Amino acid sequence: MTTETYSSNAVERSRLNNRLRAMVTQENLITLVVALIVAGAVIVPLVVLFVSSFKVLDPAGWDTTWGFGNYVTMFTDRIIPKAFVNTLIISSGSTILATFLGVSLAWINARTNCPGRSYLEPYNLIPFFLSPFVGAIAWHNLGEPQTGLLNNLAREVFGIEGAIINVDNIWGVIWVTGIFFAPLVYLFVVGSLRRMDPSLEDSARTTGAGLFRTTMTVTLPLVMPGILSGAIIVFVTSAGEFGVPFKLSAPYGWETLTTQIFSKAVGDDANHHMGAAMSMALGIITVFLIWVQQRYIAPRSFTTVTGKGFRPNVLDLGPWRWVAFGYNIFFIMVAVVLPIVCLIIVSLHPVWTGKIVLADITTINYVKTLMWWHPEAISAATNGIGNSLILAFGGASISMVLALVISYMIHRTKGFGVRMLDFLSMVPIGFPGIVLAMGVLVTYIQTPIYATLWILMLAYITRFFPYGQRNISSIMLAISEELDQSSRMAGASWFTTLRRITIPLLKPGLFAGWILLFIIFLRELSISIILFTTGTETLSVGVYYLTNFENEPLTSALSMAQTVMLLIAIYAFRRLAGREALTA
Amino acid sequence: MSTNNNVMVSIDHLYKSYGPEMAVKDFNIEIEQGEFVTLLGPSGCGKTTTLRCVAGLERPEAGEIRIGETTVVAPEKEIFLYPEHRNIGMVFQSYAVWPHMTVFDNVAYGLRVRRASSNEIKTKTMQTLELVGLDHLADRFATKLSGGQRQRVALARAICYQPEVILFDEPLSNLDAKLREQMRDEIVRLQKEVGITSIFVTHDQSEALVMSDRVVVMDKAVIQQVGDPQEIYANPANSFVANFIGVTSLLEGKLDGRDGDICSVDVSMGQGAEPLRLRAIGAEGATPGDTVNVSLRPEDVTLHLERPQGTDHGNLIEGNVIDTIYLGSFLEGRVRVGPHEIGIQIDHFENLVRDQTVYLSFQPEHSLCLAN
Ligand SMILES: Nc1ncnc2c1ncn2[C@@H]1O[C@H](COP(=O)(O)OP(=O)(O)O)[C@@H](O)[C@H]1O
Ligand SMILES: [Mg+2]
Repeated sequence: MTTETYSSNAVERSRLNNRLRAMVTQENLITLVVALIVAGAVIVPLVVLFVSSFKVLDPAGWDTTWGFGNYVTMFTDRIIPKAFVNTLIISSGSTILATFLGVSLAWINARTNCPGRSYLEPYNLIPFFLSPFVGAIAWHNLGEPQTGLLNNLAREVFGIEGAIINVDNIWGVIWVTGIFFAPLVYLFVVGSLRRMDPSLEDSARTTGAGLFRTTMTVTLPLVMPGILSGAIIVFVTSAGEFGVPFKLSAPYGWETLTTQIFSKAVGDDANHHMGAAMSMALGIITVFLIWVQQRYIAPRSFTTVTGKGFRPNVLDLGPWRWVAFGYNIFFIMVAVVLPIVCLIIVSLHPVWTGKIVLADITTINYVKTLMWWHPEAISAATNGIGNSLILAFGGASISMVLALVISYMIHRTKGFGVRMLDFLSMVPIGFPGIVLAMGVLVTYIQTPIYATLWILMLAYITRFFPYGQRNISSIMLAISEELDQSSRMAGASWFTTLRRITIPLLKPGLFAGWILLFIIFLRELSISIILFTTGTETLSVGVYYLTNFENEPLTSALSMAQTVMLLIAIYAFRRLAGREALTA
Repeated sequence: MSTNNNVMVSIDHLYKSYGPEMAVKDFNIEIEQGEFVTLLGPSGCGKTTTLRCVAGLERPEAGEIRIGETTVVAPEKEIFLYPEHRNIGMVFQSYAVWPHMTVFDNVAYGLRVRRASSNEIKTKTMQTLELVGLDHLADRFATKLSGGQRQRVALARAICYQPEVILFDEPLSNLDAKLREQMRDEIVRLQKEVGITSIFVTHDQSEALVMSDRVVVMDKAVIQQVGDPQEIYANPANSFVANFIGVTSLLEGKLDGRDGDICSVDVSMGQGAEPLRLRAIGAEGATPGDTVNVSLRPEDVTLHLERPQGTDHGNLIEGNVIDTIYLGSFLEGRVRVGPHEIGIQIDHFENLVRDQTVYLSFQPEHSLCLAN
C-alpha cells in the first residue's frame, strides 16, 4: 500500500519535472528573450511618456510636481484647443479627399477600359513613396498668392488680378495631405476590386440595375470594409503628419497637435511634459481608431473571390473612358508632375520671386546643399544625406532581420512570448511617429545615446519594423509549413532548412520589405524632427532647416535631391518586388 | 418580326470571338415560350459565351438575338440593349449572392430596381422565397447560408420579377453530388410551375438529358446537334456527340458495304491481324472505304463467360478483361479487344479476373455506325 503511494508520487513528480524541462527549451528561451527586447523597445517609451505627462513644470521652468496640470492646460491654453480642432478638421478633410481619389482611381484602373490604365497605375502610386512635406513645399511654391507659380502664370497668361489659389491655409493642408495619402486608400481597395467575382456585378445588371446603380449598391458596398480601413489609416496618418501643417498652415495661424508637440519638444519654451501630455492625447485617438479598424473592420471584409468561372470583368465606359483618362492624368499632374517641375524650377533660381527668369538660372543651390566639401556648403543640409543613408541602410537591414526573426517565431514556433510578440508588433502601428519619438525623447534624454544617430535608429526601427514584419508574415502564411517540415524530414538541420528553404522562399518579400523601409526612412520627418541635434540632421530635417532659416530655392534643391533618391528607390522597388508587390 | 408567335428567344447566325479565337460560330436556334433548352458541351466550347451574348454581358460580332418581340442585339443594325433592359434573369455558377444583403434584399433587388410598390415587393418576394423554400431565412445574411441555400437565393432572385427568359450558367457544378440532384429536380419543378423559358448551360450530359426539353450539343464553338434528349441519346449525329452523351465505346474501322439499314464495318484489330467484321445501323452519307466508328453503349453489350452457342447474338467479339469497378448497384468493366477497349455493364455479380477471356455480343440495331 505505502509503496504504491510512494511510486505514484514519484511518477507524478518526474512528470512535472519533465514538463518543466520541456518548457525550458532553446526555442522558448529565445522567443522569450526576443519578446522582452521588443517589449523594452516598444513599451518602455510609451510608459515613460505616460508617466512624464503627469509631471507639471513650474512657471520658472526648474521643478516639476505631479498632477493633471498638463491635461488641464490642454483645455485652457490659448492655442492647443484650436490646434486640436484644426487637427480634426485636417484629418477629416484629407480623409474624405484621399478616399474619394483613392477609390475612384482604383476603380478606374482595376475595372474600366480607361486607356493606358496599366501604365498609369505606377504613377498613381508614386505619391505614396514621396515625402508629403516636400509636396507641401512644392505646393507652397505653386499656390502661394504672391510667389506661387500657378498664380503668376494665371496673372500673366490670363491677365487675372490677384490669385487664383492660396494653399497657405488649412485647405492647402487638406489638399496636399489628401492627394499624397490617396494611394493608401487605393492600395486598400484595388486588390479586392481586381479580384472580385464579376458575376456579383453581372447579376445586378441582369436583374435590371444599370451601371451606376450596380456600382452604388453592389460594387462599392462590397469593398466598403477596404474603403473604411483605408480611410481610418489616412485619418490616423494625417493626424500624425507634421511636415504639411508645419509648412502650409502653422506659419499662418493654424497650428495642429503635431506642430504644437514639436514646439514643446524643441526650442526655447520647450516643455517635454506638456509635449508628452499632448502626445498622449493624440496617441489615444489614433490607437483607438487603429484598434477599431483591426478589431471590427478588417475582419468584416467580404470574401468575394471565387476561383471557378472567372472572367476578367472590364467595364466599357464608352466615350466616358476619356473622362476617366483625363481625371487620372489630372491626379498624376497635381500629385507628381507639377510639384516636381516646380521644385526643379525654383531650385534653379538664386531667389524665388514667382517668375521664371532664364537669365538667372544657377546651380548654386545644389552646390550649397549637396557638396559638403564646398566652402559655402550648409552643413545642416549636407549632413542630412549621409545621415539619412546610414539610417536608411542600417535601419532597414536591422528591421528586416528583426522582422524575420519575429515572423519566424510567430508562425513557425510555439514558444512562450509568441502571443506577446504578435501583440507588440501591432502596437507601434497605432502611434504616430511624433508620439513615439516624444516617448523615446523623454526616455533616453539623460542617456549617452541621446544626440547620436543611435537614438534615431532606435526610434525608426521601433516605429516601422511592424511593416516589414507584416510583409514577411503574409508570405510565411502563404508558403506552407510543410515545405519546411519536409526538408527537416529529409534530414536537413534546422539551420540548413532556414538557409536553403525558408529564406530563399522569402527573398522577394524580404527585398520588397527592405526597400519599403529604406524609402520610409529616407524621407522620415516627424520622428527625426523631435530627436535630431546638431550633427544628426537627416534629409528631411535638412529640408526643414532650409525652409525655416534659409530660402525657397535652397529648400527646393535639397527637396529635389531627396525626391530623386526616392524615385530611384521606387524604381528599384518595382524592379525587385514586381508589379504585384503592392497591389496584390 | 418573328413568324412564330410562340418563339421566345431566337438566335440567328451568332458569331463571337476573343482575338483570333472563335468562341461561338454560326449559332442558330429558336426557343419556344416555356421551353427548357440546354447547351451541352465540354469546357471551353462556347456555351457560356453564347449565354452571355443573350444576357447582354458580351457583345457578339455578328448575328441577331431576339427576346420576345424585341431585337436585343444585332451588330449589323447597331442594336445593343444593356442587360438591364432585356428583362431576363440569370443564375451564375458561383451563385453570386450578395454577401452584404439579407436573403430578402437579394431577392427583392429586381423588384426594387423596377420601382415596384413596397407592398408588391413584400408579397412577391415572400412568395418567391416560399417557392424555393427559404421563406424562414428571409432576414438571414447571405454569408450565413449553405451552398445549396445560396443557389436557391440566386434562383429566387432571378425569377422574382418574372422575367421573360431565365439563363443558367452551370448553376449546379459547385454543389456536391447529392445536393446537385436535388437542386436539379427542383429547378425542373420550378421551371414547369412558373412556365418560364429557360436556357441552361452545363457540361454534364446526365443533367442535360434529365432536365431538358431540347439539348444543343456544342463542340469547338459550333453546334453539333440539336434535339430532344431521346433523340440525342439514341441517334447521335456524329462521333463527338456519341462519345459525349453517355459512356460510349467507339471502334474505328472501314465501311465495307451496306444491306438496307445494316452496314458492315471492318474494325481494324491492329497491324497484321485479321480485321473484325461487325454489323451496325446508320452510316448515312458514308461510302464504302470511308473510315467510320461503330459506337456501342455499355448497357447494350451482353457479357458471356463461355462462347455462346447459336447465331442470334448478332455481333460476337472475343476479348480479355482489363478491370472492373464496383459502382454500387452494378459493376462496370472494360474489355480489351485488339487495340480497342469496350466498356460493359455487369448487372449481376460475376467473378471476373484480369486477362480472363470473355465474349461480348450485341445486336446490330443497338450499335450505331457514325461517320467521322
Ligand atoms: N473574356 C475572355 N477573353 C478571352 N477568351 C475568352 C474569354 N471568355 C472565354 N474565352 C474563350 O472562349 C472560349 C469559349 O469559352 P466559354 O464560352 O467560357 O466556354 P464554356 O462555357 O463552354 O466552357 C474558350 O476557349 C475561352 O478560353
Ligand atoms: Mg462556361
